[in-house]
Amino acid sequence: MKNILTAILASTVALAPIAAAAETCSNEGLKRIQQRGTLIAGVKADYKPWGYRDTNGNIVGLEIDMAQMVADTLGVKLELVPVIASNRMQFLQQGQTDIMVATMTDTADRREIVGIKGPNYYASGTAALTPKAVKMTGWEDLRDKPICGVQGSFYLQKIEQRYGAKVSAFGNAAEAKQALRDKKCVAFVYDDTTIGADLAAGGWDDFEISLPVEDFAPWGLAVAKPEENCALGQIMSGLQYSWHRDGTLTELEKKWNVKPSPFLEEMHQRMADPLAQ
Amino acid sequence: MAHKSGVPMVPGNLPVLLPFAPRGPAHDEFFLVRWLGAIPLAWLTAAALLLPAAVMAQSGGAAESPLDKLLRWIPFLFVQGFLFNVLISVCAMAIGTLAGAFAGLGLISRNRLVRMVVQGYVSFFRNIPWLVLLFIVLLAAPFQVTVFGTTIPLPSWIKTVIGLAIPVSANIAEVVRGAVQSVPTAQWEAAESLGFTRRQTIWQIILPQCFKRMLPPWMNWYAILTMSTPLCSLLGVGEIISLTRQAMEAEGNRPELLLPFYGFALVLFLVYCYPIARLTMWLERRFAVKT
Repeated sequence: MKNILTAILASTVALAPIAAAAETCSNEGLKRIQQRGTLIAGVKADYKPWGYRDTNGNIVGLEIDMAQMVADTLGVKLELVPVIASNRMQFLQQGQTDIMVATMTDTADRREIVGIKGPNYYASGTAALTPKAVKMTGWEDLRDKPICGVQGSFYLQKIEQRYGAKVSAFGNAAEAKQALRDKKCVAFVYDDTTIGADLAAGGWDDFEISLPVEDFAPWGLAVAKPEENCALGQIMSGLQYSWHRDGTLTELEKKWNVKPSPFLEEMHQRMADPLAQ
Repeated sequence: MAHKSGVPMVPGNLPVLLPFAPRGPAHDEFFLVRWLGAIPLAWLTAAALLLPAAVMAQSGGAAESPLDKLLRWIPFLFVQGFLFNVLISVCAMAIGTLAGAFAGLGLISRNRLVRMVVQGYVSFFRNIPWLVLLFIVLLAAPFQVTVFGTTIPLPSWIKTVIGLAIPVSANIAEVVRGAVQSVPTAQWEAAESLGFTRRQTIWQIILPQCFKRMLPPWMNWYAILTMSTPLCSLLGVGEIISLTRQAMEAEGNRPELLLPFYGFALVLFLVYCYPIARLTMWLERRFAVKT
């Protein structure tokens, strides 16, 4: 009896690697999408122009167009789930969403939780909106000064550690900007494209982007961790690659009035088709 | 005998010890509706009329006034936002009341073990911060459950309904226990002498007398619950505060939008909860035990 048990145990252990290897790509995620005929994408509904609401309540934006292209490629319908910074990765882990295109910066910590597939589709830098009267020239000027930001922004911690600024994080950008106007802080720190758009929209005559834009960080499109190196993840990789190559992303940038980003231009050049004119 | 107290001495009268009456509002569970119900309607109307004026003053002559922007969003914010808050509060209250009624009966159970378990539940969930509980329910519960082969999805808002219903049920249990115990013991004795079983006594004699007493505190908890539904915005549920923020984002996130947009949400909650508070206070006065 004991021998039989040992034999079973031994064979189980011996066969385990083979079973595991066979299971590495079960492609559950892709099968689920095909079965239900719908791709569920986690997107932002509070980050203009990447993902925001129109007055009818529909979510529109640059990233929604990207999600739509993914759905079209898979030949399924698209369903959008609005996510926020604190739940976007959990939704992917739990399987509530199939993919996530939600202005997420690609970091090493996040790669351990979800599958972030390259090449990154965008990159933004950290910029600061400061009052002209304060005359700031470098990030070092922020030492021991109060600054305003938005909760869930990865660069706030860096600024706190590197430059010793005192960070107050608000629930949304309007509240943080109001705090800047109320002189509760000397700078509003956010990503450069959004701040640039705010300045261009007018009403900020006494403010400027005085500090050099820094920390250019890539944005990542994510799938659940088990899908990372399987079909769904690889499709995401391939799609982002071809969007860079054929200039889809620069066109979307134009369509949604985003300031042309040097990152997209560079990626377009690097991945250019050598046989094209 | 020297009198230094505030009681005035009238020659010829003997000093009398007056019954103790604490000054100011009592710190009971009614504090919120009492405070809300005590605001005169005229003040609220005046404040509501002043809000647009304050908004105009702050807008600083922008091309399109923030009020026009708000007008565009009102149908969306009301229908998909505020009515959703009402739905969450009604569902949570229904579940909380049902569970609370049973927990309340558990509190007066003659089985010591049942009493102790229910008492533990009630004490724990009456004292845990609601937001902490919401986070636990949202992150710990699965997004779908499979029962007998059928998969039932559990969207975030259902989870927040459950998360809000749990503390409500604990508080309703206390309301039920208090109401049952406030029924004179003579009722129990009379029922027993007429040969009613304990179950019959509770369902046919005690509980019907409790409804009137339970109604004001029950409505009080409903008002508190409704005003707590914006907590769900922190969990990403698309209720009015989340949608208000998204609407402000779509309008360019300008700081002058904060006052009209959040002000609108405030007005909605006030219009909904103020009548509840007034009615609760009126009912409480009506059903108060005459002493």
